[in-house]
Amino acid sequence: MTTATDGAAAPLRILILDDEPIVCKRLKPAFQKMGHEVETFTDSNAALARLREARFDVVVTDLKMEGADGMQILNGAKDSAADTQVIVITGFATLETAKESYRKGAFDFIAKPFKLRDILDCVKRIEDKRRGLPTEAER
Amino acid sequence: MASGLMRRLAFWRPQRDVLPFTVLFKKFQSILERNNLILELMADMGDKLGGEYVFDSHYLVEVSEKLGDHVFKLISDYSILNQHQNADLFLAFERIRFAIQEELAGHRILTAGEPILDMAAIGHEQSELVGAKMATLGDIRNRLELAAPDGFVITTRTFFDFFQRNNLFARTEAAEQYWRDQDLDALRRLAEEMQQRILAATLPRRLGQRILAAFDDLARRQGQRRLLVALRSSAWGEDGGSSFAGQYQSVLNVGRDRLIDAYRRVVASAYSFETWQYRLSKGFHESETAMAVGCQVVIEGPASGVLHTYAPHRADGAMLVNASWGLCAPIVQGDQPADTMVLGRKPPYPLLDLAIADKPRQLVPAADGGTEWQAVPGHLQRAASMTPEQMATLARASMRIERYYKRPQEIEWTFGPGGTLTILQSRPLRLQEEAAVPGRELVEATRDAEIVFSGRGLVVQQGIAVGRVHRVDNDEDLAAFPYGAILLSRYTSPRYAAVMPIARGIITDVGSHTGHMATLAREYRLPTLVNTEVATSLLRTGDEITLDATQNIVYRGIIVALNHFQLIEEEVFEDSYEYRLLGRLLKCISPLHLLDPQSEGFTPAACRTYHDITRFIHEKAVEELIHLSEKQGARHLSAPKRLETGLPLGLMVIDGGGGTTCAPESPTLTVEQIACLPLRELLQGMAGMGMWCTEPVAVDLGSFMSSFTRTVPASLSGPGAIGRNLAVVLAHYMNINMRLGYHFTIIDAYLAEAVNDNSIYFRFLGGVTGFIRRSRRVAFIAKVLARYDFRVEVHGDLVVGRLKKLSLPRMVQRMRMLGGLIGYTRQLDVRMHADSDIDHHVAHFLQVMQEQERTGG
Repeated sequence: MTTATDGAAAPLRILILDDEPIVCKRLKPAFQKMGHEVETFTDSNAALARLREARFDVVVTDLKMEGADGMQILNGAKDSAADTQVIVITGFATLETAKESYRKGAFDFIAKPFKLRDILDCVKRIEDKRRGLPTEAER
Repeated sequence: MASGLMRRLAFWRPQRDVLPFTVLFKKFQSILERNNLILELMADMGDKLGGEYVFDSHYLVEVSEKLGDHVFKLISDYSILNQHQNADLFLAFERIRFAIQEELAGHRILTAGEPILDMAAIGHEQSELVGAKMATLGDIRNRLELAAPDGFVITTRTFFDFFQRNNLFARTEAAEQYWRDQDLDALRRLAEEMQQRILAATLPRRLGQRILAAFDDLARRQGQRRLLVALRSSAWGEDGGSSFAGQYQSVLNVGRDRLIDAYRRVVASAYSFETWQYRLSKGFHESETAMAVGCQVVIEGPASGVLHTYAPHRADGAMLVNASWGLCAPIVQGDQPADTMVLGRKPPYPLLDLAIADKPRQLVPAADGGTEWQAVPGHLQRAASMTPEQMATLARASMRIERYYKRPQEIEWTFGPGGTLTILQSRPLRLQEEAAVPGRELVEATRDAEIVFSGRGLVVQQGIAVGRVHRVDNDEDLAAFPYGAILLSRYTSPRYAAVMPIARGIITDVGSHTGHMATLAREYRLPTLVNTEVATSLLRTGDEITLDATQNIVYRGIIVALNHFQLIEEEVFEDSYEYRLLGRLLKCISPLHLLDPQSEGFTPAACRTYHDITRFIHEKAVEELIHLSEKQGARHLSAPKRLETGLPLGLMVIDGGGGTTCAPESPTLTVEQIACLPLRELLQGMAGMGMWCTEPVAVDLGSFMSSFTRTVPASLSGPGAIGRNLAVVLAHYMNINMRLGYHFTIIDAYLAEAVNDNSIYFRFLGGVTGFIRRSRRVAFIAKVLARYDFRVEVHGDLVVGRLKKLSLPRMVQRMRMLGGLIGYTRQLDVRMHADSDIDHHVAHFLQVMQEQERTGG
């Protein structure tokens, strides 16, 4: 038997961007239940603007959208805070887009439709990684 | 394997105008492959209903297109095989594809919607057509099996027809501009004008007649010559995120002569100034306004009222009831004295607080229509309007509704004349506290809780369940299932449907996403986690647990915060547009209507879903291949040969070259004349394993026989009528299609010395009968195949096993095993009395196989 999480992890600040509201609506409560703070966007330019003014620990973004696409969001997130982890989710998954995402520093690349559990695990890995490297951001 | 066939068949040169058998057989194989892809895609879509996956409308568009594409190509391949145009099949396909496209484009109301729908045919899938309020009542009545008033719904299809015919939409758009400009006077004038135009508009004759016909049907059902009904609004968005409470008009106690008039009044209420303003303030577009109208029998009970399933302001874990004598309307309005009861939310729903009001008068239906006030008899004025039994009945039903909708509910109810609890309406209750973000208490509660297990199992239906565990191993356990418990079992079983209405959740050690129990659990929205492997070893009857079937975690103890969080989530997945769209798409895709190939209804024109088309083509393709080889065999292929064997297989064999040793023109074939290695081994497995008919079937010989007598007489009645069982063979290759009763088995196998080419593809598809036992058989087959190293996939009734690149002796062993398996499963239905039989049969089968191998059978 174990307990749910070891120690008191600080909540993560998570930004979710997907032009389909259903994706935001499904992900938001799932992350909240893990104790994280969540903001959702369906408009990529608004999300980009938000990334410029606030720091997020995790950005979950769709790839193909009107306006700024996922790659731009990925760049924008990394520009504003290099230790922001980006998870790319897409319904148009190809080997090329996956490769490009990783090359540009995405933490993970998940093809839609995906299991809720997969993305929760992904965020958990980010949490663990951060706890293992607490000084990385401060240095 | 196909290439091997091609090489061998390359010797045949087709005559002009006749396609070579190679081409036709290739088409046949392509049909089988596509058939499989279609079944898998369908199963895949069905899985998405459980809530475990995040999907979007892009997925729905893509998977629908892919599916349509496969079905179209399936018909095209079949057209080459049977060398006809198959216009009927293409037409059926176009009908279905059109319906799917209309669903995806959101146009369905105008093209596919019924103008009138009976309450018995309504559920949440139709909420665009019948409005949220009536869709909810439909679910309550048809899915939760609680009583709701009988009646019908005049749908939004009628609303749109009515408005378009009278050009009523022409001015509505202006309202949005007035609102943006905050020109409320203009909006008020527009509202008055709209209402007058609606009240004066003519309902298209045809529609009026249909409404009156539905009313007459209802009167007949009720056995009343002068039926009076209530007309209630059921608009888009009403009872959804915004409550619209009391905004729209209901007209009570309406007779036939005033029905159409009352309909217009209810519809006009959508354009009252107050309602319109409310709608605009909530951000609704004019294109999102549509009104369905429910037409319900008036239930005249001695007492009625309103219940809130969640009343945190009164007490923790409490629900609140207001009740009075007479009709429910005054209590909803809240302007009449009513008894107040506070009940616990958990069984036995104890009465925590009771305040009896003085109730001098009650609203009752007037004899000539409408309603009237009546004095309450003196001794009842200060008496409680409900008995303790009624409170318990009401509380239990209400919690069932809340669990289904995963939202606190506001429920209007009445105890009808016979004392039956009738639900008049249920809508989500907006909680005052609006704590949309979970507080630290949730994180802390889950952090401090003991986890029994986590990260295990498959989510069949998402959700949170709290309650006591009740383990079910046999029928007695099931019969003793207590109200509100969480079912724990080794296996999944559709028999659990019996307790689903009273269960809070299901956890099993073994099981899959698909299958009958999964479908049923989704139907009841019962949080269900299967295939945990360990649940029964860690949990016992009586344990209090919290099942989080969104994150695959089981906590020990009851975590109220988690349950509470679910109740205040912004949107319930099952209420989302995408979920409902998926449900409607699946209705065009999955249900199988063509069941019996020998019935007259087994025609292309009768195909109503993609599944029907797929099923039809598979059946016919097998027949076609036999037919083709009969027709053309004399020229460039040997005629199909009937296999002479003691086994009731009705098997026709087409030799593509080197598969048989008998004379080419011989109409029959003995087992000894089979040169095809896979078929020889398969038959040996069937006959030699002693599994075909050895043990006498002790029970139910009738049902045992019925599983294959349908094939046997046909195959014995002469070559022309020979049905469905076909093997195409070469020396090392076999493709066999066998239908025994309603069950289809396909094996495609290539066996030779060269390991790399070796492969076996096995597919079993169950039929339509023996619901419960059949799913046990599927589980049995899957387990046996896995024991023999097959890669196994199970989708509902479909089991697919694949095996590749084993050495020849091992492949031979497995072909024999498959023969044994076909023989064994053929009579298994009648012997599978309990889920525990599955393991017993697996063990028995493996034991027999091992003995056979030892004795060199």
